[in-house]
Amino acid sequence: MSQSFAVGRAAARPAAGEPHASVAALDPRRKLQLALAVLWLLDGILQYQPSMFTRAFPQMLGSTAHGNPALVAAPITWSAGFIGHHLAVANGLFATTQVALGLGIAWRPAVRLALAASVGWAAAVWWLGEGLGGVLAGTASPVGGAPGAVILYAVLAVLLWPADRDGPFVAARAVGRGPALAAWLAVWGSIAVFALLPASRAPQGLSGMISGMASGEPNWLAWLDTRLAVALTHQGLLASAVLAAVFTIVAAGVFLPARLGRAVLVLAVVVAVALWLAQGLGGIFTGAGTDPSSAPLLALLALSYWPRSLA
Amino acid sequence: MSSPAWLSATFAGVMLTVALYCAGRLVVARLRRRPTELDTDAAHITMGVAMAGMLVPGLRVLPAGLWEAVFVAGAAWFGGQTLRARRAAASSAWRCPHPAPHIVECAAMLYMFLALPAAGLRAPMGAMSASAAGSRFSFLPLLLALFLLGYVVRQGDRITAQASAALGASPGRTHHALAPRCAALCKIAMGLTMGYMLILML
Repeated sequence: MSQSFAVGRAAARPAAGEPHASVAALDPRRKLQLALAVLWLLDGILQYQPSMFTRAFPQMLGSTAHGNPALVAAPITWSAGFIGHHLAVANGLFATTQVALGLGIAWRPAVRLALAASVGWAAAVWWLGEGLGGVLAGTASPVGGAPGAVILYAVLAVLLWPADRDGPFVAARAVGRGPALAAWLAVWGSIAVFALLPASRAPQGLSGMISGMASGEPNWLAWLDTRLAVALTHQGLLASAVLAAVFTIVAAGVFLPARLGRAVLVLAVVVAVALWLAQGLGGIFTGAGTDPSSAPLLALLALSYWPRSLA
Repeated sequence: MSSPAWLSATFAGVMLTVALYCAGRLVVARLRRRPTELDTDAAHITMGVAMAGMLVPGLRVLPAGLWEAVFVAGAAWFGGQTLRARRAAASSAWRCPHPAPHIVECAAMLYMFLALPAAGLRAPMGAMSASAAGSRFSFLPLLLALFLLGYVVRQGDRITAQASAALGASPGRTHHALAPRCAALCKIAMGLTMGYMLILML
């Protein structure tokens, strides 16, 4: 027996005496929320890795201050210093908070609280942990995870909020069609712009970034990234222009009729997978990755815009 | 580089608590004739004790070879149960109705014992990551970990519904399952700890 019920409401009761009844069918939004919860859990567990309990972690946080305006950089430097002085406690708390966010999203009575908390947490980490994704420093690049993986968690938390508006796709049910389309345009449009910044379009820009990702990776991924980096050697401008064009097409895709829109969303997922490989899967195989980078979140974002019908 | 001792000890403590609780479930279920998933509880006892031993060397009670045999047997049992479920055979309240995730758990345990060299098994889990890093199968622990984290969130999602299902059961029925929410919490703790250990092996 399978029964469907809305997220955040009381669960349906199966017939009495059926000990192993299938208790909950999942609607598309709930599936996406659970996927987001998995990513939060993965983040939390990555944060428990041994390297996060060493000085390398606050040093990595502190390094994101470089190139940012003083108003942005000063709190980053202060927080990195504070974390460095209370490393075990601070990192243990960070990891546990992220695990709690994942479990909270998974547990229906806490889903609203956990999503709201994840927006606040993501915003704080985006600033103090990722230096606003390098957006103000001019170092933002799609291959580097721009606009910052963690801010995409906040965007997804808003777009997957369990509100009951009527909409043609999941994201529109939370905030309405217009704001959801604006969010899509902002995310993918900004990535297109970042692809054209000097950090990416320099002759060795993308090639250098990708070859840097290969260090410490397993052989198969290092081989892939090294080959890609070699292919892009001295091709920074051309590769950046192609990337920007693809991201622009994706950004415009949700404004197309549903059938074409679906094709563009498939393209978005394919681009996200390719980007993830170029990002070295966020460095999670190196023992120093704090998250799987932006690509899995971009794929999740694309799925939340999948039209419910072709009408 | 190794995990802080307190972190490994905490995870080991959680695993021993789960193992002890599941042993208690088996006793209470027999005494009060309240159904519980006997196979799942038994698996969680063995996995809990085995993982505690991997996390804290002082808690090791059996050699790795014996544990490997145990988890091969466990995977075979749950594999058989999966085939049985696919043939739509009548389910029992005393066996796990969704055995597939437990096959993956047994496979993950096997992977951890097989992938780590004997030298690694004499060190705490957190210190063993480097020994597995060069493996050609480094993607396998990631896939296993992602599956288990997916299982964890699915269990978390079902807890509320399981509570309602328990409330919906007639008081006079003998099929009133034993503490289904606590059983789900055990699965969550087991999945998270196993996911943590697999991530350490990336």
